[in-house]
Amino acid sequence: MNDVPTDDEEPDEVDDAYRRASALDSSGPSDLARRRILNHAAQLAAERGAENAAAGISRRGAASQSWRRPAIFGTLAAAALAGLLITPRFFEPQVSVTAATSDARVARPSAAMPAAPTDQSEGRPLGMPANEQPQSPRAAEQGVPEPQAFARNAAPSTNSAAQLAAKNAPARAPSMAGARSSVEAGVSATAGDRVNAEASRVQAMSGARSAAPPAAPAGLFGPAAELRRAAETGDIAKLQMLLDKPPHVEKPNGGDQRGGVDKQSLVEVRDAGGRTALMLATLQGQDRAVDVLLAHGADPNAADAHGATPMQVAMAAGRESIAAALQRAGAR
Amino acid sequence: MTVDGESDETLMVRYGRGDAAAFGLLYRRHEMRVWRYLERNVDNRATADELMQEVWFAVARDAPRYEPAARFTTWLFTIAHNRMIDSVRTNRRHASLETLGYEADAVLGQLTADPRAGPLGAAVARDQAGALMRALEKLPREQREAFLLQVEGDLSVEEVASITDSSFETVKSRLRYARAKLREFLKEHA
Repeated sequence: MNDVPTDDEEPDEVDDAYRRASALDSSGPSDLARRRILNHAAQLAAERGAENAAAGISRRGAASQSWRRPAIFGTLAAAALAGLLITPRFFEPQVSVTAATSDARVARPSAAMPAAPTDQSEGRPLGMPANEQPQSPRAAEQGVPEPQAFARNAAPSTNSAAQLAAKNAPARAPSMAGARSSVEAGVSATAGDRVNAEASRVQAMSGARSAAPPAAPAGLFGPAAELRRAAETGDIAKLQMLLDKPPHVEKPNGGDQRGGVDKQSLVEVRDAGGRTALMLATLQGQDRAVDVLLAHGADPNAADAHGATPMQVAMAAGRESIAAALQRAGAR
Repeated sequence: MTVDGESDETLMVRYGRGDAAAFGLLYRRHEMRVWRYLERNVDNRATADELMQEVWFAVARDAPRYEPAARFTTWLFTIAHNRMIDSVRTNRRHASLETLGYEADAVLGQLTADPRAGPLGAAVARDQAGALMRALEKLPREQREAFLLQVEGDLSVEEVASITDSSFETVKSRLRYARAKLREFLKEHA
């Protein structure tokens, strides 16, 4: 490094001279090059802007749903599994459209209890127990016989459903397929309710209800079942009517106590899955129904057969308003 | 919205997210510096024009991966250096100011004396400016590039060393030699 010149002089003199010369040099890139550069950059920016916007939406969606999906799925699976395990003790075997895709959809034939016709043949809601019937407000208005009447006059059913149920019976062991089909059953029950309730309405209006109603044990229809359906479907008028003037009370053992007005008992009666009207309303996100039920003394901590409480269901499903209402009512 | 006071790094990040206006401002800020660096290293306008596009295309393309850990100008002149070296290595035709007399005339014709110049102000007269450019052209490529990187890129010795993949002392030596030779030319034409 001995041959390196020393910096005795100010190096800025050279730099300044160079800069002054450069400042006076008006040469530059061609207009074509400049246009190409700026156009290319603008095009890339536009593409990036679109990509970022799409990625942002995707991220937001994933972030907001990342915990909800498994929670909802788990809750539905738990509820459906509970129903699956308990339902056969009380009800007839049933066949739904989902049976075709699920070998674990259980239907146990019973010699003592006549089997009901299939869901579709009777217009009964899919996934609904064979001895429950949808009660439409319009049907009630038009004087369609109440389900109890059908139950009392139930005709012997055919064996076709029993045979079909027996065919499907072996797959009772809990499994992934079973859990999956349970969820399917839970999901299809909701949609099926609406479809078949509408079918019942049409039947009632046309007076075509000549076929024998499904067989059902006494006591499984009535105000409590109607209350649960009203809660589940958000039929506030019906809910209010039943709670304000309960016509009779179902006993948990299946018997009816006609004439007894016991609102508290009415709201506490559970379905086969141990779900109260409040739980069903929570599952379906019926905010107003939840409020009405709580106002009429529904127990906010009544767990279903699987041990799930309405609060847990509301939290898992992200139903914040319902969770808040439950909390106000003392839910834990 | 682009604000003129924003740093190069901020503008670059904004462009990486799709703000075309940020790129426009960056380009205007650095266009001439990059151009002079390229044009005075390759001594050919057409080649410099090509390289100019390659450099800014690369800036635009790599913007999403740009990390403002280092100064934008360091990154920018690194790209320019690499492109220029590639050009030299692929034996692109170099034309000096002497062989492209029209270019030299065009440049030198625009150089006039600066009335506010100090002791070396006279050096920016037409002849002196021409001598300065010829002196620059005659510098060894490494010395000329080091000088241009430092003056046009406003880079430190360390940054020039990093860009040219050379040691600090080597770059310092190149810069001293370059300035000494330029100074000598200027004195001769004073």
